[in-house]
Amino acid sequence: MVDFPNEIRINPAAINKLIIGGVVVVLVGIGVMTCFYKVDPREEAIVQRLGKFTGQPVTEQGLHFKLPFNIDKVTHVEVTTVKKLEFGFSTQTPGARTRYSPRSRGQADASLIVSGDLNIADVQWSTQYVVSDSYNHLFKVRNAVETFRAMNEAVMSEVVGDRTINEVLTSGRSEIQQEVKDKLQSLANQYELGIKLDKVILQDVNPPEAVKESWNDVNEAQQERSSMINKAQADYNKIIPKSSGEAEKTIEEAKGYAVERVNRAQGDADLFKQVFSAYQKAPEVTRKRIYLETIGKVLATQQRDDGKGGVVVEQGPRKVIMDQDAKGLLPLLNLNQEAK
Amino acid sequence: MFKQFTSVFIGILLFIVFLLVSSSVYIVDETKQVFVTQFGKIIRGPINGPGKEEAGLKFRYPFINEVHAFEKRYLEWDGAPNQVTTKDKLFVFIDTYARWRIVDAKLFFEKVRNESGAQSRLDDILDGEARIVVAANDLVEVIRSRQREAVIPEANVLDDESQLKPFNQGRSALAQQVLDNAGPNLKEEFGIELLDFRFKRINYSQEVRLKIFERMISERSRIASKFRSEGDGEAAKILGTQQRELKTITSGAYLEQQQIKGKADAEAVKIYADAFNQSAESREFYEFLKTMETFENTLSKEDTLIFSTDSDFFRYLKQSSPAKE
Repeated sequence: MVDFPNEIRINPAAINKLIIGGVVVVLVGIGVMTCFYKVDPREEAIVQRLGKFTGQPVTEQGLHFKLPFNIDKVTHVEVTTVKKLEFGFSTQTPGARTRYSPRSRGQADASLIVSGDLNIADVQWSTQYVVSDSYNHLFKVRNAVETFRAMNEAVMSEVVGDRTINEVLTSGRSEIQQEVKDKLQSLANQYELGIKLDKVILQDVNPPEAVKESWNDVNEAQQERSSMINKAQADYNKIIPKSSGEAEKTIEEAKGYAVERVNRAQGDADLFKQVFSAYQKAPEVTRKRIYLETIGKVLATQQRDDGKGGVVVEQGPRKVIMDQDAKGLLPLLNLNQEAK
Repeated sequence: MFKQFTSVFIGILLFIVFLLVSSSVYIVDETKQVFVTQFGKIIRGPINGPGKEEAGLKFRYPFINEVHAFEKRYLEWDGAPNQVTTKDKLFVFIDTYARWRIVDAKLFFEKVRNESGAQSRLDDILDGEARIVVAANDLVEVIRSRQREAVIPEANVLDDESQLKPFNQGRSALAQQVLDNAGPNLKEEFGIELLDFRFKRINYSQEVRLKIFERMISERSRIASKFRSEGDGEAAKILGTQQRELKTITSGAYLEQQQIKGKADAEAVKIYADAFNQSAESREFYEFLKTMETFENTLSKEDTLIFSTDSDFFRYLKQSSPAKE
């Protein structure tokens, strides 16, 4: 140490003591501070002593003791939190009205998948998972999540590749979710990722933008088809029951006619029989009587019921009576006309 | 003054001791495998290699021993999208990934030095192999992987183009080929074990994509017009059925009506005939009665009847005595 004229003189031994004391205090301080770690409810801790895993993850919540100075190294792993990976879209601000970021080129590419009939479907999905084995998750695989992401894409494109675009877009959705989930789980087990699949959810599954319109047109055409059929059916229903009713009516009327016809015939016949048997007892007189009565009726002015409660008076035919010996017919005829 | 120097000296000494001790121990992490070289020559290791549990504190000679650490964990390799022409002349981008690990750290160190060296070798080899395999097969072989029948919804029954394309080998077989072709080579040459190789994405190149879109559009419009003409057809069928049933019903009714009437008429005829046809006398009487009835019904005021006084009716107009027989 060099002495400077204006400097306050300090005992060097005291300085030494101060330095050593300071170092010791700092070391002890760091030591004490790095002696503890805490475990949150949703995580577990992996402790490595001098690089070596201590055998069991620490799952008990609360404050724990460890060796200081990085002799024990603690890594926290969230194990109960359900984590989510998104493919083809990304959530910007989750919430009741979740907002999505505009899709980047890479996302759009990931979601355009070739289907088994060599068409293209735009498939967006998300995968939810939890870390089920923190040891494997940390020590068996580097970048387990990145690996998992790549697996997701591979499995989804494999599963979609075994389906027609129709299945992908309509009927096959839940089946795809299930198959992707199962395949991913067995692959994750094989890779020892320490990941347990919770859900695979297909979000928007669409035909690509460029062909959307033609897909909608198919839907429209389908609607049109059913409306045409319905219209025809309605028309059918309007006509057929009515005409069968009418047919029924015709037949019933015919039956009525038949009964009437036969009854009338029978009546006429019975009448005739009666009259005839009476006639046979005195044919000459009866015959004459009928004749005279008829002619009388024919020539008479008749009163007839008009069917509406009134009485119609009908005149009989014009009558011209000539002496059998009379000659010159016309004067009589004229006279008769004038008389009318 | 001397005291001062002593404490500085002790401090330096302590520092040197600390340096010596700290450079003669090293930690092998759970995730690492290491080997130790002395003047560039491997003298120990690999320690904590694949399948071994040897992590922990280790010793070495300070300064002359060098420790080389490598990843023990499974590592990912993510290929860049690669444009390939398939056997059926389609331009596609294939994007692949693989998983690998270092199984022979010495060999790995000698041949590729470090991970980035390894990644670039993997790029060369895996991209190349993938390219060869894809180019030797039709596109459908990379797309399909499992034999299954498409479930065709009712709405698309007639759409034969929406069937799954048949394939022989399939995606996983192709991936396996890449694995088989590249794997042994990587292991022998670089100490790299290839655990898995997969096709991640297969996309049409831009111009092919446009063609596919065109095809999809035309396919859809075919289906749409099919639906429409089906609608027309079904409607016409229903209306046709309607007409047929209408005719059947009305004509059936007419038939029955006529039969009923005919039967009744026939019966009436028979009844009349039975009544009137008893004898010659009854026939004559019927004729007479009918004639009388006809007179009654046919003659009206428009008619003019001219009677002679020698008729039965007017005969008494001239005389009251009985007719001379």
